[in-house]
Amino acid sequence: MAEIGHGKKEIVERIMEPAKAKEAIKGLPEVPIRSQIANEVIGITYGFFTPLEGFMSKADVDGVCKKMKLANGVVWSIPIVFDLTPEEIDKYGVKVGGKVLLTFNNNPMAIMEVEEIYDYDKKAMCQAVYGTDDPKHPGCARTNAYKDKFVAGKVTLVNRPKINAPYDPYFIPPLEMRKRFKEKGWERIVAHQTRNVPHTGHEWLMKGAWFQAYAELPIEKPLVGVLVNAIIGDKRKGDYIDEAIILTQDELRKSGYFGDHNHLTSLTFWDMRYAGPREAVFHAALRTNLGLTHHMYGRDHAGVGTYYGAYDAHHLLATVKDELDIVPVYSMNWLFCPHCGEITSEGLCDHKKEWQKFSGTVIRSIVQDGVKPPRLIYRPEVFDVMMECGEKYGFGSPFVTDEYLEKRIPVFEIPPMK
Amino acid sequence: MAEEKFPINIWINEERYDKLRLAGLGDLPEEMLAGLKVLRVYANAAERDKILKVFPTAKFDSATTKSIELLPREVKDKMFDKVVEKKSVDMMSDFLAAY
Repeated sequence: MAEIGHGKKEIVERIMEPAKAKEAIKGLPEVPIRSQIANEVIGITYGFFTPLEGFMSKADVDGVCKKMKLANGVVWSIPIVFDLTPEEIDKYGVKVGGKVLLTFNNNPMAIMEVEEIYDYDKKAMCQAVYGTDDPKHPGCARTNAYKDKFVAGKVTLVNRPKINAPYDPYFIPPLEMRKRFKEKGWERIVAHQTRNVPHTGHEWLMKGAWFQAYAELPIEKPLVGVLVNAIIGDKRKGDYIDEAIILTQDELRKSGYFGDHNHLTSLTFWDMRYAGPREAVFHAALRTNLGLTHHMYGRDHAGVGTYYGAYDAHHLLATVKDELDIVPVYSMNWLFCPHCGEITSEGLCDHKKEWQKFSGTVIRSIVQDGVKPPRLIYRPEVFDVMMECGEKYGFGSPFVTDEYLEKRIPVFEIPPMK
Repeated sequence: MAEEKFPINIWINEERYDKLRLAGLGDLPEEMLAGLKVLRVYANAAERDKILKVFPTAKFDSATTKSIELLPREVKDKMFDKVVEKKSVDMMSDFLAAY
């Protein structure tokens, strides 16, 4: 039976069989790609980005920027583009109507059928997607750094990525993910978007969303799960290292704060744009494709600095709710109330003057000061796994350093083709 | 209207607590977040801006806590030493004079 994804389009993996691939790439001009484009090739070809079959045409980008829709009318909020310089286009022999072989780390990755080469006003793209053209906005900085030409066309993976340990069990593409959900018997699955090691505020965001999603369903057997979907992409100094993020999220299940019956951790390759409301809509499409029925959105979802209002993402989602196949679950902040002696929601507790709010940033400060937070704030098993990850993968630190950026284990590699 | 103040949390580990006790300041830390001890030193808006400029890894948590976070540990150690020296958390202008 067909698996239907975002935009009511069938999820189809665009992946060529190895024997056929070996023949198909013969003689094609080779175009090396950087990690962002490789991440997006994986996103497209495994169906994470359904209905996209390739990098966007000018009509698609124009629709996304001006109407938040692809040329075919499906809601889409962030341009997925492949940029090259005019010199690279000449040098690699990229021509409309031709095919090229996209290579990553000097190995064949995907075939691209070149359908269009075009220009686009990057400033207009920034303004439309990010609501600003401020070069300090990280999404604008990424857009401004795009090369001057965009190449559109379908892509087909010819060589599957090798996902390195410890990430390999967590790479679960859409078709496989949907099988897992069926095996678990989950009727509703709520997405938790993260780039963090979880503190108990995050844990309760997930638990609260689980309750919200459960709603009227019968409770005799587990029917609702939380999918932690960690975004793995570009890192900045001071972020948690990726290994710590993925392994500590899973530790919540292993240590019994959740269980196999209601919790699964996974990852998606994506370089965050920090587009706030627009990124929230993108996340809705992505998680629809993964088979989720609900998506948690908290305060300032995927935002940065002070560019977006706390609930702008919720407002934008409301404008397209009839065109999305995922139900947004809005979450209030969780905090510590010393009067209650527990983590509670700002929507529940009325000891406002006693509230002690905390954030991922505050927790990072505590850890940096060499202090182990109490278990009500940070689970000891999570703390221990985080510190172990620092030793094992982070060159002594659970936070990204220059050394980590230089020497880290790549999340995936494209192996030589046999 | 009272001037707005932005806290910097100096979380108290055992080493810092021992120093406070030796200086007779064992009662100075507040208790927060289910039992953590913390010294809260405050910056005004101008001092906050200077801190964020001088220490670029620092971040102002504008969304949740309105506190200045992610200062390097050695900077916090210096702030802590200044608190001990002055026997007071009112030390920011003295501390920033060196920068």
